[in-house]
Amino acid sequence: MSVRICNIQKTYNSKRVLDIENYHFKENYIYVIRGKNGEGKSTLLNIIAGIEKPDYGEVLYDFKTDCLRYDISMMLQKPYLFNTTVYENIIMGLKYRKINKNEIDKRLKRYCSYFKMGELMNKNAKKLSGGESQRVALLRSAILESKLMLLDEPTSSMDYENTLMAEKLILDMKNKGSTIIMVTHDMSQAKRIGDKIILLEDGRINYD
Amino acid sequence: MASEILPVIFLSLIVSFTSTFIASVIGISAAVPFSIKNFKLKKYILRINEVLMSMPPVLMGLIVYVVLSKEGSLGNYNLLFTPFAMIIAQTLLVMPIVFTLTVSSLSKVSVEIMKNCKVLGAGRFEIFISIINECRMQILSIITTGFGRAISEVGAVMMVGGNIKGHTRVMTTFIAFETGKGNFREAFIIGGILLFISLIVNTLIHCFKGEAE
Ligand SMILES: Nc1ncnc2c1ncn2[C@@H]1O[C@H](COP(=O)(O)OP(=O)(O)OP(=O)(O)O)[C@@H](O)[C@H]1O
Ligand SMILES: [Mg+2]
Repeated sequence: MSVRICNIQKTYNSKRVLDIENYHFKENYIYVIRGKNGEGKSTLLNIIAGIEKPDYGEVLYDFKTDCLRYDISMMLQKPYLFNTTVYENIIMGLKYRKINKNEIDKRLKRYCSYFKMGELMNKNAKKLSGGESQRVALLRSAILESKLMLLDEPTSSMDYENTLMAEKLILDMKNKGSTIIMVTHDMSQAKRIGDKIILLEDGRINYD
Repeated sequence: MASEILPVIFLSLIVSFTSTFIASVIGISAAVPFSIKNFKLKKYILRINEVLMSMPPVLMGLIVYVVLSKEGSLGNYNLLFTPFAMIIAQTLLVMPIVFTLTVSSLSKVSVEIMKNCKVLGAGRFEIFISIINECRMQILSIITTGFGRAISEVGAVMMVGGNIKGHTRVMTTFIAFETGKGNFREAFIIGGILLFISLIVNTLIHCFKGEAE
């Protein structure tokens, strides 16, 4: 799915956070957004995901103003894991989509193989470490195989091995046809997997 | 003695459970979307509910009495001095408590849950269920608080129920009535039972919470 941003403006407490005239995220690319703390990266992703409203402007998905809620999935910067098992957390979005048990099992097998999830599956998700939580949050978003995937610093608390596996997962999502827009502070990661690297500065999008 | 006391306990439980149940269903169903949305009147609605929360039960009794009396707008239904009237009064007393406490205890976390559900493709109803499910412990405590208010309340049920023996007499009005007659023994027995019921309800909640841990 392609995403076009048209004249988006967002202000918090009279501080202009975003002011983007026009930007087109092409289908099936991996976009990596970088920028200093508080530059509005998360705000931009949230607006694209539809969980925050811009003060002005609109987002077009495949040139339309609305899209199916099943077409987008997102991993928030501070993901909220539900107070139940890791397993239930990972399949939550599949349940919303009324996907059958067979397919759920198939996808679980496919996606959980990226990370060593074995013993974790039956643990309560509230009792996970930072990196473990991020793995669960990334998996529950990736398993949906949505057309557009938004990832807000998906590997910020992962160790090196898991970070590499997460990057492999993200690249595989792209090969399956997803468009991916992600935020990271890790420049080498951006270079490893990004097709386009964007710098968000003074509320505007610049290329590096 | 028992034949006199048992119906009183039974009616108390029925009236308080029913009114807490109705108040909780309405109060929580309204509070969950209310805690997510931002709109102009939000602050005022909350303020009004906070005031209603501490409304003296006798005043609620008076209002319900007037509405249900022969001259009132619901006078035709002959509800005054029936258990229905008591349920109405208690529901109105408990509802703002459940609503206000739910809004204030969910206000932060419900937005977070809503966002995370939404980006996984949840619809409105699924978001609603998720929020209630995630906050079940807080909500359970709030319902218990509401029940505590209902079962210990005396002013409103006295006015709209009339404390009619075998018909609308509940534990609290029984205590007030027997104390007035100087029958302290009976009053203390019922008072003890009232405390015992609170103990049971609290223990049940704690067991439930312990299990959920
Ligand atoms: N709900 C809010 N209310 C007020 N200000 C907000 C709110 N959300 C974000 N902001 C402000 O908007 C600015 C941009 O925030 P945002 O979270 O988008 O930054 P970011 O680029 O993701 O930063 P980081 O790298 O630290 O994650 C910050 O200055 C932040 O304080
Ligand atoms: Mg951020």
